[in-house]
Amino acid sequence: MMASNSKRIIFLAVLAFIAFFSQLSFADMKTQNIKLPHKIDTWTLSGPVRPINTGNIFEYMNGAGELYLGYGFNRLEVSEYRNGEENTILVEIYFMNTPDDAFGLLSMDWSGEHILLGNTHQKTAFPPRALYGGGLLRIWAGSIYARVMTFQETESAKAAILVLGQHIINDRGPTPMPALMNSFSEAAPQGWKLRRDRMGYFRSHLVLNSLYYLSHQNIFNLNLSAAAVTAPFERLSEDGNKERIQALLIEYATHQQALSGLERFHSAYLDDFQKEKPFKGQNGQIHYFQIEDGWLAYELHKTCLAVVFECPNQTIAGHVLGKINYPSK
Amino acid sequence: MRKTEPCLTRRDFIRGSVGATLAASLVTLPWKPERAHAAQQSLVSIVRDQDVMDAALKVDTSRLKTMVDKTVLQVSGKASVKDAWVAFVKPDDVVGLVPTPHLNPTHTELMDVVKKSLMEEAGVPEKNILDAQGGKRRPGKCSVLISMPALKGHWLTGIGTVIKNYIMYSGRPTRYHGEDSVKLGEIWQIPQVKGKTRLVIVDALHPLCDKGPQPDPRYKWAYNGLVGGTDPVAVETVCLKILNEKRHALRGEPWPISPPPICVEAADRVYGLGTSRLENIKIAASGWKEEILLG
Repeated sequence: MMASNSKRIIFLAVLAFIAFFSQLSFADMKTQNIKLPHKIDTWTLSGPVRPINTGNIFEYMNGAGELYLGYGFNRLEVSEYRNGEENTILVEIYFMNTPDDAFGLLSMDWSGEHILLGNTHQKTAFPPRALYGGGLLRIWAGSIYARVMTFQETESAKAAILVLGQHIINDRGPTPMPALMNSFSEAAPQGWKLRRDRMGYFRSHLVLNSLYYLSHQNIFNLNLSAAAVTAPFERLSEDGNKERIQALLIEYATHQQALSGLERFHSAYLDDFQKEKPFKGQNGQIHYFQIEDGWLAYELHKTCLAVVFECPNQTIAGHVLGKINYPSK
Repeated sequence: MRKTEPCLTRRDFIRGSVGATLAASLVTLPWKPERAHAAQQSLVSIVRDQDVMDAALKVDTSRLKTMVDKTVLQVSGKASVKDAWVAFVKPDDVVGLVPTPHLNPTHTELMDVVKKSLMEEAGVPEKNILDAQGGKRRPGKCSVLISMPALKGHWLTGIGTVIKNYIMYSGRPTRYHGEDSVKLGEIWQIPQVKGKTRLVIVDALHPLCDKGPQPDPRYKWAYNGLVGGTDPVAVETVCLKILNEKRHALRGEPWPISPPPICVEAADRVYGLGTSRLENIKIAASGWKEEILLG
């Protein structure tokens, strides 16, 4: 009897195991396949879907491929709709490895009209999931990033673009933005405002340079195992000019990688300030440097490295770093 | 304090030490750098016509032809269009036209107008006019190159217009992404390329002022212009000015191109291809003046 029960339990466990993983697999397939309509109003799908992968991405988009390879890129599917001979709509659906990677692509530029797609998702102040402007709709939906674009914006083209956006976002529930994006929520010094609409999420120094230039070289040893955010803070000075400070938070895979990243940064950027030998980074301690454009401070915190640039004084630099909510591993 | 390993950073731009750091990081040049262009003044022509494109961005080729004529007249300083073209090419030259193929491609109408002018004004046979954009063997077939990029920013090099237009001639374009974009000027020194560029005509009809990496219609606008010259670095410098002014106007605050286009300064200070100093550039502008974006 005992043996029979054991067999039954094992059998049920195996069934549950299969059912669980089948569901996961089905969910994944559901997420990773998008069937676009053949026709939308006067717009007709033209030709087959063009598949792009890491092997031919440069053939398709030249150096722009570096952007997608700078995140976890799986594949791209390209389709085109035509409205007679007059106009085209290009649909690019990027299948990224994680929702964070897809989010990062949208975070390169937060400008545009916030478009509400889908019936079940509430419009929130930040982050939007779909942004439209000038004939281009950009979408973040789970691990998918999509661009739907026409160069000749007409009412008909815009309507078709929004319908296509709806198809892409269908059945994809809201995904939380990367935890790192919340790290600076309480870090604004008094009188300063965090510009969430200028925050970017990335893994590559090429993207960092596009958001906030520090060096043409990879001075933080960034790679696909790391994740980082830039966070600018602004205030109006007494003479009415905008002042800006720039914070950067990088989460590495290990403490050792964080330490190496900091050491390389110090050597490249703060070469005129002596560093300790051997370099230990002193976990949890803020280091201050006065350089040409203001105060710079950095702090190593377990697997994270935080740096703040262009601060008007040491107190503000210390405030920003002291109020970071570091992600817990 | 001198850096132990030359590494260009934001601080170099603040300190004004970009040139020195670039030179230190590129000390092992395989050729003798050209004479510096510091004292030389270069002329850059800007010709604009408000009606060269209609609301649907369709190009009026007749107006475009007039713009091309005016460009070669201003750049050459000659009195007739025929003399102007003959100043750049001879009837027995094999002329390679080098357009931008990607991101914000050169208008085919501009290619057609220039080709027709070469045939009718300079007497170059049609068979001797080639589309020379592409692999490293293309320039070797030509005795003259006319660089015809479209005006655009670029996310890896800051600006992706004149200096970057020959990237495919390197045979390994990905080598010039990121930090090595500083070396784009070296491609102009390849024997098959060196000294062949007689004229640069930038298609600034519908430029892209953000860096991409892919086209974004929000950052394209009808500038309706051609920017021309014989000094590629000076032409690029004026193009950069136009892009930065447009970005400033869009945001209402300074929005400089990032990463900074170090290939332009390196083309001047390291490779000696021309001048990147606005004070050494004379701009000859004609036609539509509104929003010319020269500061």
